[in-house]
Amino acid sequence: MEGALADSPRQRSMGSYRIASIVAALVGSLFLLFLIAPIARLVGAGGAAGIPRLFTDSELRASLWLTGLTATAATVLGVFGGTPVAYLLARHAFRGRAVIAAILDLPLLIPHPVAGIALLLVLGRQSAIGRVLLHAGMQVAGSAIGIVCAMLFVSAPLFISGAREAFARVEPRYEAVARTLGDPPWRAFRRVTLPLSLRGLIASAVVMWARAVSEFGAVVILTYNPKVASVLSYDRFTSFGLQEALPVAAVLVILSLVPLVILRTLRPEGSAGLVP
Amino acid sequence: MIELDGVRARVGGFELRDITFTIPARGYGVVIGPAGSGKTTLLETIAGVVPSRAGELRLQGRAVTDLPPERRGIGMVYQHGFLFPHLSVEQNILYGATDHAFARDIAERAGARTLFDRHVSSLSGGERQLVALARAIAARPPVLLLDEPFGALDPRRRTLVRRMVRELHRELEMTVLQVTHDFTEAGLLGDVAVLLDAGRVLQSGPPEQVFRQPASAYIAEFLGAENVFAGTVRVLGDAAPDWVPGEAEALGRGHHALEFRSEALTLYTVGDASPGAGYAVIRAEEVVLSLEPHPSSARNQFRGTITEIATLGALTRITLDVDGTPLVAALTTRSARELGLASGTAAYAMFKAMAVHLC
Repeated sequence: MEGALADSPRQRSMGSYRIASIVAALVGSLFLLFLIAPIARLVGAGGAAGIPRLFTDSELRASLWLTGLTATAATVLGVFGGTPVAYLLARHAFRGRAVIAAILDLPLLIPHPVAGIALLLVLGRQSAIGRVLLHAGMQVAGSAIGIVCAMLFVSAPLFISGAREAFARVEPRYEAVARTLGDPPWRAFRRVTLPLSLRGLIASAVVMWARAVSEFGAVVILTYNPKVASVLSYDRFTSFGLQEALPVAAVLVILSLVPLVILRTLRPEGSAGLVP
Repeated sequence: MIELDGVRARVGGFELRDITFTIPARGYGVVIGPAGSGKTTLLETIAGVVPSRAGELRLQGRAVTDLPPERRGIGMVYQHGFLFPHLSVEQNILYGATDHAFARDIAERAGARTLFDRHVSSLSGGERQLVALARAIAARPPVLLLDEPFGALDPRRRTLVRRMVRELHRELEMTVLQVTHDFTEAGLLGDVAVLLDAGRVLQSGPPEQVFRQPASAYIAEFLGAENVFAGTVRVLGDAAPDWVPGEAEALGRGHHALEFRSEALTLYTVGDASPGAGYAVIRAEEVVLSLEPHPSSARNQFRGTITEIATLGALTRITLDVDGTPLVAALTTRSARELGLASGTAAYAMFKAMAVHLC
């Protein structure tokens, strides 16, 4: 009889599992709320005013164009410069590979205003390179070129990291087979490795572009004017207060949904995370 | 022709060391070795996919050690095919082909033509191997490297494809080197067998020689020789004893009549083995069984008790206990049945002097 009255170990285990599940669900819900609430509130409060502003506020329109163009330019440069580096890191074991990989990740870890200061030291008017470029008619700090440089510096590591993963997922023996079938290395890359890693490369480029669009810290140090959308939002907040900053911020959030949708369509079934 | 002379290569912690062997022009070589012995690495080194660190590699008489894979004139078929998943079956087969009509003909003969409309991901393992084989041959390489290309095929298809590869090998005058686990396949296909173990070549030569005259007891056991005995060799003299009438002509070429004593068996043979400790190898196929003693003067005759009868298709392996030493004979299942052999009964095992290989 005693056995029938007392809970069996299996019952006790099921009870603990239920309690743990409830606690996990509660914590998870609070965490999701923390992530979603500010964005939802922002879009709710500023979205209605923000969309019409696109037609009436020429500074906002110019700022969005500038953001889009500079982020695209930075992404194109990142893709062209970063793809060979990512391929090298994914395919070849060489001395110093870990050091190079760590250096490439560094811009992701340092505070972005610090990255901006570092760039200013190298590319600013007072620097040797800055003076040479200025002499050649190319002003970096305080221009769209400065914005592209800041965006490239802070977001290219995301592309390189994603592209490296994309290349690493392609079995090297596909390339080996292509080589035995007569392809030189470049043609084997173009005909086999590139098509097989393309989704991952595009997704990495989209992530880089999205990161470039949202960059503030490095850009604001290197180029306050002309203003990209993030700087404009900050400028309106400090100059005119929350109400004026809200529509700009809401438009930025809505536009950020575009790369998210692209990533969703590129993501293969069953994979998690941003980069497919 | 495939010639390797002291070739070394390293992949991770694994190393191929001092690989030396030759497959003659238009020859068919087979590489046999246990899992992890470096068979695939060997093919990849010949293909140039894995760089060699030392030694000389020549293909069709041309030094290729420093050439990239695309300039070596080779075709390679991996065990898993590695068909390009973003291309159709047809595009895969035409990938390296310059003559598309020839490539389609090869696909037809390989039985891959009917798969042209299928997506690569929908192919079975065997179909993948057929397409990979057709893709490699369609590029018309003078040297073809095959890494267990028939492993995923069913037995019937394997026989057909093996025959097809052998035909194409002759027609296209290719030099082929194939990795296999299957000793029967090695015997059927190979002009040269290369035994590989732990990154080294243990022995190479015609399969008949490798199987009948293994260079060591380890090789003999690896090749599945059931009768390997440790013992001592003694030279009986240069005169031809009466028990070697068929082999008497061999004695004039530096060979001697030899006696080999192991624990329970004393064997007689002819050869050039040095006196002292060694091993005797007798392939089970060379052992003849009978219920009555053979009336000839043959010395290598032993009486024993049958302890095990194992039938596997057309072949039956019978283990005879000779004073505590197991001696295995391989008979056709029909012969075993006709002899009426049964476990526990007495029988006589006999083999010729030349069937005993000392190493």
